Amino acid sequence: MSQQYQGVFLIKNKLGLHARAATILAQLSAQFDADITLYQGDKSAPGDSVLALLLLESSQGKEVKVTCTGPDAHNAFIAIGNLIEDKFHETE
Amino acid sequence: MKLSTLIPEDCSKAAVLFNSKKRILQYISELAQPKIPNANQHEILEALLNREKLGSTGIGKGIAIPHGRLAGLDHIIAILLVNQQPIPFDAVDDRNVDIFVALIVPEGENKQHLETLASIAGKLNDKHFCKRLRQASNDCELHQVLVEFDK
Repeated sequence: MSQQYQGVFLIKNKLGLHARAATILAQLSAQFDADITLYQGDKSAPGDSVLALLLLESSQGKEVKVTCTGPDAHNAFIAIGNLIEDKFHETE
Repeated sequence: MKLSTLIPEDCSKAAVLFNSKKRILQYISELAQPKIPNANQHEILEALLNREKLGSTGIGKGIAIPHGRLAGLDHIIAILLVNQQPIPFDAVDDRNVDIFVALIVPEGENKQHLETLASIAGKLNDKHFCKRLRQASNDCELHQVLVEFDK
């Protein structure tokens, strides 16, 4: 059964969704059997595409919506939410 | 932001032939140095290598965006290289890389850096654009592709 989870997260790290953060997010997204999409304003990006994630231009203080659909949706949603909350493992 | 302005013609190199990540990054430092009088080639290379150590800048689809930050720089230096053959670069999708858009970025310019990355990603996300970059046989032709897609 397909389930969908969605929520809004604040980009807290100083550098925002820059190349390294986007790469970590894409690698994490690829681990789940789920369709993951990030939204910011009128732009959206598949969670597993670094190029598309960079196009969101999400800087510190922006809010991004995350939606996850599919068999692994719940785990994917938790993991991605934690990554953003944890500032993509960055110190500031 | 226009890519043809960000990447001048003398920083657009078509059909180069390097066989390793280190050699490509060395060549990028060599090209960047005359634009950055305050830094030597070694410092530029170190900045690029340090960033790669944190995780590869190979972002998938045969593309990498090697970059590094340097203090005292007042604007972004951008360099485009297209290698004749894709080479291993530890990319996120495990594909070898042949398109390199390198950036030397001033320290602390976070928002501007995101804008630059988004402009570059917007173009590179277009398969047709990447195909044209790969087809360019000389530097002038490569830069003309940037001009054409800026219109």
